[in-house]
Amino acid sequence: MVKKIILALSLVFCFGGADVYKENCIKCHKRLPVSIDKYFYKYLLIYSSERDMKNAIISYLNYPAYETSVMSDPFINRFGIKKKSKLSQEELKEAVDVYWDKYKVFGKLR
Amino acid sequence: MLASKSLGTDFHQSEKQTLFRFLALYILLTVIIISVFSFIYFELQKDLMLQEKKSTLQKYSKELIENLKQLHINFDKTQIYPRSTEFESAIFDNEKKLIFSTTQTKLRLDKILYLENGIIHLVNIPESYYLGARYIIVKIKDDKEWLKQTKKEIIVFSSLTFLFMLVIGYLLLRLFLKPMRDAITLLDEFIKDTTHELNTPVSNIVANIEMIDKSLLDEKLLKKIQRIDIGAKTVSNIYQDLTYLTLGNEMISNNEDIDIEQLVLERIEYFTSLSLAKKIKITCNVKEKTILYADKFKISKLLDNLLSNAIKYNVVEGEIIVNVDDREFSVKDSGLGIAKNDISKIQERYKRFNKSSGGFGIGLSIVSRIAKEYNLSIDISSKEGVGTKVRVSW
Repeated sequence: MVKKIILALSLVFCFGGADVYKENCIKCHKRLPVSIDKYFYKYLLIYSSERDMKNAIISYLNYPAYETSVMSDPFINRFGIKKKSKLSQEELKEAVDVYWDKYKVFGKLR
Repeated sequence: MLASKSLGTDFHQSEKQTLFRFLALYILLTVIIISVFSFIYFELQKDLMLQEKKSTLQKYSKELIENLKQLHINFDKTQIYPRSTEFESAIFDNEKKLIFSTTQTKLRLDKILYLENGIIHLVNIPESYYLGARYIIVKIKDDKEWLKQTKKEIIVFSSLTFLFMLVIGYLLLRLFLKPMRDAITLLDEFIKDTTHELNTPVSNIVANIEMIDKSLLDEKLLKKIQRIDIGAKTVSNIYQDLTYLTLGNEMISNNEDIDIEQLVLERIEYFTSLSLAKKIKITCNVKEKTILYADKFKISKLLDNLLSNAIKYNVVEGEIIVNVDDREFSVKDSGLGIAKNDISKIQERYKRFNKSSGGFGIGLSIVSRIAKEYNLSIDISSKEGVGTKVRVSW
């Protein structure tokens, strides 16, 4: 019984996170010429580990600034700095977790 | 022992022990010093080899970083980790979590360049963390050529140093032993000279006393003559002991079957005047007749020393029991006894534990030497204030 409850909750959180990511991240990035995975690899190039990278993304989404952006100057000049995220901290965390799981390098190299 | 023999000195047991301890300590110290130098040399050679291999590893590392960069750019198209036939590699994130490794071995990131399990490792930190790789390790197999060469050099160097140190140790030993050898030689020379001068007068006194017809003497004079007899016999005994001690090694043994009972009775008779002076009663118990094949003079010397000690260290009106049994005899006294800790040292030359009586402390040393020559077993049991028993068996 306990196992079933845990499984149900995990699925809710999982799909819940996925929804947040899909609705709030993919939706906007779709409109940009640079696919969302390119941002991931830009972050990876600078922050390396999962914890540092997630903290950096959340921090940028909360307080977007030219100085903290990982994107190049021509990109920022063309597309500007994004607006501050309206998502709650939990939602941001869920969305970034989904983002990490989708594009992480761990377990993908052969 | 070899040193003492080669130096022509007859050392005591304790002196031999000191020599062995010195040699052991010297060798241990030499081995430690050689080991420390060998270790330092080995480490230096290892570092030298690592520095030589560093440039090769850096080249491989650069090649890997370039490939990782390409993979980072094209990660959406391919996820095949760049491999090489010349080296193995692994990448870690900045929390030292393994991202990927071409081998299963556990890796360390606390050193930049190191040798472990026959593998040379180089840890590199790229400027950009391609695929999140903060630490890049490239590793190649050690061909161990340097190890063979270093081992060879260490063995040759250690052997030569050890031999050199042994020669130095031998020279030092000679230097340290010189005063000891001189002291023993001086003492032996002194005893030799003294005994030589004593020989004629003592022989004269003993022979003349034996020639006196005691039945013609009045009681007062007889007592005086007996005292002279005791004194002369004591001096004669000491003379014989010292002669044996200094010339013992040069004396030729004239071995024969000795009837121990007869010899014991003879020697008791010889010591009667000495024992009577201290009113000591000597009893001889013969349980079984026994024969010993040895030099009669030497066994007589052995027995004399045991009887002489038993009288010398006995109390007035004491008792001495001499037992003769199959392949053994013993002399038991009711004297002062020897402390438990001193029993093991009692057979050393010039060692005396009771200075109240005369003597040079050579009696039991002679006993021990004769016993050693004829493989006789000496068993000393003693209790302070009760007495001492010396058992000789073969």
